Amino acid sequence: MATRDPSMICCFRLLFLLLFSVPLIASSSSWASMHHNNWAVLVCTSRYWFNYRHMANTLSLYRTVKRLGIPDERIILMLADDMACNMRNNYPAQVFNNENHQLNLYGDNVEVDYRGYEVTVENFMRVLTGRHDPAVPRSKRLLSDEGSHILLYMTGHGGDEFLKFQDSEELQSHDLADAVKQMKEKNRFKELLIMVDTCQAATLFNQLQSPGVLAIGSSMKGENSYSHHLDSDIGVSVVDRFTYYTLAFFEKLNMYSNASLSSLFNSYNPRTLMSTAYYRMDLYQRPLPEVPVTSFFGSVMKTIHTDAAYMGLSIPPKTEAQFLPGDGGNHQLRIENEPDLEKDGNKQTKELHCIYHEWLNLLQERFENTDAELLFRYGFGTMVFLLTISTWLLA
Amino acid sequence: MLAFHGKIAISQHPREPFLPPPLPFRYPWTMRRIITLDPDVKFMCTLPFSWTMTEKLRSKLLFEELVLLSDICLSIYEVIFTGLQGTLLLVGDDNIIFSSLMGIGKWGDLKFLNSMETTLSLYYISFPSTARRRSIKRVHRETSGDERGEDALGGAPAKECAEASGGRVYTVVVVEREDDLGVRVVVGKHRHAWIVGKISENDVVSLIGKVFVKYFMNGGKKVGELAKGIGEFVPVGADGSVVLSFSLLNADPSDWVYDWKFKEMSNIMLTPFVKALTPIANISIESQVLYHTPKLSQSYWDEKSSSHIFSIRDLPFFVNSNEWHLDTSIIAAGRSKVLQFVVYAPSASECPLLLQLPNGEISMTNSFISPMWGGVIIWNPPHCAGDSHNTLPPQVRLSPIELQKIFQVFLAQLRMLFGLKSNYIDSSETGISKFLDSESGFTEWELDVLYRHHACFNLHSCVTTLESLAKLVQSLPRMIIMDEIGKQVKFSLEAANLAQRNASLGIYDSSASSSRQAKVLAEDAFFHPSIMSISYSSIEHYFAIYMPFFAPVALHVLLAAIKELKRYKRERAKYLAFISEKAKMD
Repeated sequence: MATRDPSMICCFRLLFLLLFSVPLIASSSSWASMHHNNWAVLVCTSRYWFNYRHMANTLSLYRTVKRLGIPDERIILMLADDMACNMRNNYPAQVFNNENHQLNLYGDNVEVDYRGYEVTVENFMRVLTGRHDPAVPRSKRLLSDEGSHILLYMTGHGGDEFLKFQDSEELQSHDLADAVKQMKEKNRFKELLIMVDTCQAATLFNQLQSPGVLAIGSSMKGENSYSHHLDSDIGVSVVDRFTYYTLAFFEKLNMYSNASLSSLFNSYNPRTLMSTAYYRMDLYQRPLPEVPVTSFFGSVMKTIHTDAAYMGLSIPPKTEAQFLPGDGGNHQLRIENEPDLEKDGNKQTKELHCIYHEWLNLLQERFENTDAELLFRYGFGTMVFLLTISTWLLA
Repeated sequence: MLAFHGKIAISQHPREPFLPPPLPFRYPWTMRRIITLDPDVKFMCTLPFSWTMTEKLRSKLLFEELVLLSDICLSIYEVIFTGLQGTLLLVGDDNIIFSSLMGIGKWGDLKFLNSMETTLSLYYISFPSTARRRSIKRVHRETSGDERGEDALGGAPAKECAEASGGRVYTVVVVEREDDLGVRVVVGKHRHAWIVGKISENDVVSLIGKVFVKYFMNGGKKVGELAKGIGEFVPVGADGSVVLSFSLLNADPSDWVYDWKFKEMSNIMLTPFVKALTPIANISIESQVLYHTPKLSQSYWDEKSSSHIFSIRDLPFFVNSNEWHLDTSIIAAGRSKVLQFVVYAPSASECPLLLQLPNGEISMTNSFISPMWGGVIIWNPPHCAGDSHNTLPPQVRLSPIELQKIFQVFLAQLRMLFGLKSNYIDSSETGISKFLDSESGFTEWELDVLYRHHACFNLHSCVTTLESLAKLVQSLPRMIIMDEIGKQVKFSLEAANLAQRNASLGIYDSSASSSRQAKVLAEDAFFHPSIMSISYSSIEHYFAIYMPFFAPVALHVLLAAIKELKRYKRERAKYLAFISEKAKMD
């Protein structure tokens, strides 16, 4: 068959080439990628006043991640955002994560990408898989590539293999695993760190199977995750334990630090957390003590120095005439040649358009000279004449 | 008693047999059966219709063609090289050296070129041949003017034939003569290179091999190096377009405020570049000027150079993403790639700001790039001492000379972002004396390398995308596949086949543009917003939806049918008993 032959020839070529050009073949499976940038997707899945602590959790992590260098354009923040301006809030437009009220998380430069009722399971899945409507703006898309490390943080109410979204929907563990699998197939990340702060959080990543994924949950199956303390001024709990101790770890760091992920994971004490923080590293290739936290929580830019400028282009000869030193002869030659070139160019273009323009000019001349009335009369007459001829022929 | 709804015939005589039941005895029974079983039968009849009516629209996705294409594309890297044609023009007096070079055994590095089905034609011209004498003499005289020498080479013999068929011919001219400058190797801006001087045959072969392999085939990088980080130097978005966003940053406007006439300069300096790269990306350019944009990292004052110094170690932390709001693009669509090019004018307290390299030297360009992000140039204002007496900061427009220098560095950075070297500095290690620069920012052979590289990458990406789409679609049998997706897959496969054919013929630019189209269509098909697995239910979910409609009714109908069946059996038994009694009495 015709379609078989090219592939057969290709097979022979392959064998022949393999004998001679082994060093030149780049096998498609080893097209490894370098780490270029970091992204963060921070999701708060609760709404209503009594879930204040979940929004405070997410905003605290947002602030940490920004402080360590990830810019707003690489953070997707999904919040119900009904705390700061809630009528029950004693401190309007302020959100705190500690009862000492030292840090206002809602201060300045908080860019929320999905707020209110836009935080749905469908939008979350669309963000992860990248399947948006074409009209969705760039700031709402996860524009990661094969060199990105992504931090995915989720907090809210959860249970055995599910996470509750805004009191009306559920995200199941197999949905999350499916989304991550599709992301991996399309190479939308190099490495992914999932942090979940809910009850029975570790069950949410039971079904994960894609390589390059590291996951940590605040509690195991059958355990609850607890809040840290109650703020008597505000009247609700303001932060969860897992996030509180995570922030305590990061407050000591800055952009230049290279504390490792294993030190972060080892800093969680089951007694103070009142639950067991469980992390899953069987899908992750690199050993944890060698991975700095800034490879997920901070910003990394791989930089290469530009050693020389490219001199091929320069501004056109008419201005260059002032700068060229003594090469009088050549310089004159060039200037003299230039008008010739221009003329030639014009001639050529004239020739190209000649035929078409000639016709147009001809027609225009004709029309200009004759009277419009006359033309109309002639035309009408011709039409009537043709009509009579045709009716006579048909009759 | 007869279960007959009507009058009961009571016989006068106790021993008189009952009257045989009249004919209608059968009829109500049949009627009852029909009425009872009617819904069951109807349900069974409509079941196949309901199955077809709830079937999902799934457009065909051409899985067989996809498998064929992926088999061919496994060897894509080799396929792309089959279109190369090399020409070797040997000019000289000495027949002996060159005729001995004709034997294959001498070729060394170039042996593989023959095995790859690249045609390497060898043309030997000696001086007695008058036909070529004029052109060769011109080459001799004007090797000092390398550009003009290159133009004189335009009449290379095989070139017209090969290029008529669409392929590309690379020529190396070896001119053997005594030269004061020793051996000079020059690589031109079209597809020629020449070697001038008195050289031994071994050196000639190794030089020719290096020119062909290292430069014409691999663009100056080591073999396989381009392929290793292959996605790293392909800054083209998923929809085949790139937005180059140029920003002039004034760190502290209270010291001075700079402005630039961007449009004119970009028309002169960037338009040829954009045109040269049209087959691989649809490039758009925009610019802005920003104020109050300090940098994050610190620098220290150096007495020796009387300037503020920052080192290579500070470069990753230079870009202050919190204050530099660079992502203000209005023309960038959702899936295009944005490359940021920044000119940073430091504040008076940090001026002049110079970059120190690890070997202690000060950088000549004062700039750096970050792959897949863009580049930064630190431009120090000419008069660093800010005049604090003025109430208003001076508003200065960058002069054309300054802008030209900045744009030359931008061109170098663009070259680096696309995977080539910024500029080939003369160095004795490479053995090449000079590389000619081109007006468009890329020489033709560099453009060929870029087209090949991008065609390779795009085809690979297209095939993997379509394969994962196929896997996804097959794993969700109940998902609706719109016709649009089927069409996009079909056109993508056609474009990919066209690209692969063109690459094997050597027409690299159309191969690159077809491969770009193939990749764009494959990405559009994969990222179609209707493919959301969460909306498409499994078979259990399907039953769960329809059960509440049918289960209660079906229950009743089934029970009624069973009751009727039992009743029918009972009455039939009675009837048979009656018939047998009647027969006995008769």
